[in-house]
Amino acid sequence: MFYPAMIYVLAVIGLPFALAVVYAFSDIKVGSVGYHFVGLQNFKSILHSATFLRALYDSFIFTVGSQILVLVGSTLLALALEKKFRGRGLVRFLMLLPWVAPVSIGAIGWKWILDSLYSVINWVLVRVPIFHLDKFNPPQWLGEPALAMASVIVVHTWRLLPFSTVILLAGLSAIPKEIPEAAEIDGAGFWRKMFQINIPMLLPILNVALLFGIVFTFTDMTVVYILTRGGPYDTTQVVPSLAFFTGVLGGDLSEGAAISLFMVPILVIVAYLMLRAANRSEVT
Amino acid sequence: MAKKRAGGISRREFVRLTGTGALVAGIGPAFIFPGRAQAQQKTLKILQWSHFVPDYDKWFDGIYTKAWGQKHDTNVMVDHISLNEIPARAAAEVAAQKGHDLVMFLSPPAAYEKQAIDHSEIYQEVEKRHGKKITLAHRSTFNPVTKRYYAFSDSYVPDPGNWRKDLWEAVGYPNGPDSWDDLLDGARKIRKDPKLGNPCGLGLAQELDTSMATRALLWSYGGAEQDEEGNVTINSKATIEALKHMRAIYQDSETPEVFTWDPSSNNRAMLAGKVSYVANAISITRQAEREKATNPMMAEMSKKIMINKALKGPVRRIASEHVMDCYVVWNFAENKEGAKQFLVDYIDNFGEGFKASKYYNFPCFPKTVPDLSQQISNDPTADPPDKYKVLTDVLDWATNIGYPGYCSAGVDEVFNTWVIPTMFAKVAKGDMSPEDSAKAAEAEIKRIFERRKAG
Repeated sequence: MFYPAMIYVLAVIGLPFALAVVYAFSDIKVGSVGYHFVGLQNFKSILHSATFLRALYDSFIFTVGSQILVLVGSTLLALALEKKFRGRGLVRFLMLLPWVAPVSIGAIGWKWILDSLYSVINWVLVRVPIFHLDKFNPPQWLGEPALAMASVIVVHTWRLLPFSTVILLAGLSAIPKEIPEAAEIDGAGFWRKMFQINIPMLLPILNVALLFGIVFTFTDMTVVYILTRGGPYDTTQVVPSLAFFTGVLGGDLSEGAAISLFMVPILVIVAYLMLRAANRSEVT
Repeated sequence: MAKKRAGGISRREFVRLTGTGALVAGIGPAFIFPGRAQAQQKTLKILQWSHFVPDYDKWFDGIYTKAWGQKHDTNVMVDHISLNEIPARAAAEVAAQKGHDLVMFLSPPAAYEKQAIDHSEIYQEVEKRHGKKITLAHRSTFNPVTKRYYAFSDSYVPDPGNWRKDLWEAVGYPNGPDSWDDLLDGARKIRKDPKLGNPCGLGLAQELDTSMATRALLWSYGGAEQDEEGNVTINSKATIEALKHMRAIYQDSETPEVFTWDPSSNNRAMLAGKVSYVANAISITRQAEREKATNPMMAEMSKKIMINKALKGPVRRIASEHVMDCYVVWNFAENKEGAKQFLVDYIDNFGEGFKASKYYNFPCFPKTVPDLSQQISNDPTADPPDKYKVLTDVLDWATNIGYPGYCSAGVDEVFNTWVIPTMFAKVAKGDMSPEDSAKAAEAEIKRIFERRKAG
């Protein structure tokens, strides 16, 4: 079973990655013919691009913001869903939906919820007298830079939350029941059990969830592409979406490839640090 | 008698079985799939957008291409996709060196010149039949350096102003805004009037309509991204004045929703009765006219929304074409000859296409619609019937992307990466001064142009 898996990984990940490396050191454009090696010229060029530097900054905000929300939200959800209650199966099923549904469908749904003209949220807000909103200028969820970034973070969090919750639920079920029970007999309350038993014991699995979350977020462009296409004026532009806009829509394949390769060392460093931290925090 | 070998078959059985197999393989597909029996029938694959006027697609797919296919014994397949998806699809086809025979872009695809045939031959054949093409078509599909036509343009779409008569009348502009100063003054009055309050709808997003509207403002102030020789000229006094004007329009009469728009958003905002003015093709009024019989809101809007020429600036009255239909025949197309013939024949029938598009697609070969002025000046579906008369002299104020130069690969990339809309948006929102924004755009355009020259 090893070889089919290896062939699959090479074909789906290895080959495009190798192609991106080859492109990034060339002057290849979408309509050009032939290949010319240009060394580090593309990397130097993008470092002079204000749009790229903005996208790099936005990528960090997008990743850090959504991961904080995912970690807090999934920990709370996992703790809640671990308890036995009526309808737990149904709640767990519903909670999984954002993860199992195609991301494009979910994001399009959110686009309409946050739409400038037909937003259901704004429809309600404008009709609630206490808010005194201008009917022609309700909150523009995707039109104000700060609100737009918050919107893409929230939608991405909505998407990743189930995945992280499932990982944490698995981690919680692996904690020996005697430890929290013993602590409870010794008089430990909810918060003490959470911060001194559950979370420390969950730390290795939390690290894994965080690592996956960072990789999924830093390399994701679907939510940004569908909700804002990087706007308003590049304030939600992230590195993967900029690579797509530059390489495919703009036609500069070599620069698009160079932009996308910028993510690799960052993600390798993050993965190394996270795995190292996970090893150190293993409960022995 | 043939001997049967243990565990195998005899020579005679082998010959019989393989013979039958060959026969089945030969006639089987024709019997099972009768369509394949006509193995020699050619195929012509076309990729183009889903037209904003659906009647055009009905005519193109259902009438014209069918008739052409029958006449030329060709199976014509037309794939329609959203206008936003065309660049990505074209890039994928070029990467695969496989795809459609004809691809229609909505802006000059100069970046693809090396992947496209020289379309001179098509222009020559059409010009023999229908006379000269318009300058706009020439400048949108010709590379003066290589002397090649990298695309063939059949039509363009004017980009007039769409304004609400009731709102503009109320603030003293019964004929709507005629200049950028009128727009600022009138839109401001409408927005600040407590009984009205409608915002103006000039887009500031990274999308097609914004690209066209902001370029119109830039050019009408005398600014441009390049000069006739292709030198970057964006950082100029004229650009800075245009940026200041846009900032005033946004801050006094618009809302942040204009930063969120896609190409159909201004249509929706206008038809929902929300905005007072947008720069767009006539798809807005055409939708209202199409749906007025069944939708009271559309009936109301079809009466209220008027069309005017591009706005006059301190230097000139000018706007970009809204859409430039540019057909490309790939070098790797499987049916190049069919594609060329299709385009030539299509221009023969352009008069029908013009009507089917409800006067949305204007001809690049004016002789194909000799009575254009009369047709658009008396349109029974419009209210009033002469609503579109203002478009009669559209060629006096419509120009190409890249004006005053040609559309090069660099201009194409600047267009597709939204450098100009971003420059305007940052100033409008107050995130950058006009001077800094023009400087930043200059750096980005120079960077792109230099990369294109190097590549």
